[in-house]
Amino acid sequence: MSTAMNFGSKTFKPRPPDKGSFPLDHFGECKAFKEKFMKCLRENNYDNSMCRLQSKDYLECRMDHQLMTKEPLEKLGFKDLMDPPPSQPLTQLQQ
Amino acid sequence: MLLPLLLRPPLCLPQASVVLTRCIRTLRCGAPRGLRSQAKDFLWRWRPQRLHSRGRSRKTQSQEEEWRNRNKTALTYIAAAGVGMIGLAYAAVPLYRLYCQATGLGGTAVAGHDMEQVATMTPVKERVIKVTFNADTHASMQWNFRPQQTEIFVVPGETALAFYRAKNPTDKPIIGISTYNVVPFDAGQYFNKIQCFCFEEQRLNPHEEVDMPVFFYIDPEFDNDPRMARVDTITLSYTFFEAKEGQMLPLPGYSYS
Repeated sequence: MSTAMNFGSKTFKPRPPDKGSFPLDHFGECKAFKEKFMKCLRENNYDNSMCRLQSKDYLECRMDHQLMTKEPLEKLGFKDLMDPPPSQPLTQLQQ
Repeated sequence: MLLPLLLRPPLCLPQASVVLTRCIRTLRCGAPRGLRSQAKDFLWRWRPQRLHSRGRSRKTQSQEEEWRNRNKTALTYIAAAGVGMIGLAYAAVPLYRLYCQATGLGGTAVAGHDMEQVATMTPVKERVIKVTFNADTHASMQWNFRPQQTEIFVVPGETALAFYRAKNPTDKPIIGISTYNVVPFDAGQYFNKIQCFCFEEQRLNPHEEVDMPVFFYIDPEFDNDPRMARVDTITLSYTFFEAKEGQMLPLPGYSYS
């Protein structure tokens, strides 16, 4: 992988995560949501695109239990899974 | 009376001798002119001489001045060049960083890596990438650390969630700290973690087991990079080390930006 003897060639530079570190879920408060997500993954041959709803639910659970800072879901890339505001016309959604 | 007039300009000695002989001649000729007229005569004799001497010194003076001016301008140019070099040395640091970002040398982050991108990016559905997960622990670290899924299929531009599990089988609390690695290296610059469990101390109580999520996405620019055209698999590898109280972990071979 990346040993200390790689002189001259590119080395991997680990970057800190954008939003920092997840606090540990010591009490297993969101374990049920995680199990649902893992089950969905196993059923869908580990395709992430099919299980985005479950991952959104898991992150919402974390936010509710103060295991994650509250963020609007668009910022986490779940724009397509959110309920649209009533003012938007349907044609825009179907795109 | 005439003596001081004669003694004054030391440069003009030859002229002085001519004047002296003239003066003596007039005296000998016995046509004594008025003293005043004689004095005037002498002054007349001195004046053009004086002007001439002043003219000559003025010429050398102007030449000296010209040299001095030339020296001054040359020195100014040299000083400006020196200051310019020093300024360039200071400016080289941010300029080099910009150059690295523009060309992507050294695996530095491509410009445009920020949180607003997550909200606006669109998934590239045609390009499916397999992300495999690997978990390691340091030799002296007693946690059981493993991924909960071996692989997951993602597309660039879509956020994804993955889980690791860690268990502390011992009877005392252990604090761990982790770092990660992405293979291939070039793909590492497109692998953006929104939130994970790395680089911070995580404490596990005796016989405790926790789920550790990683929330990440692959930059949609991944699809446009010709160097990534053949990359279908990215491996994310986490390694846990034990963190002792107040000890800074030296992780060899890694450089933190």
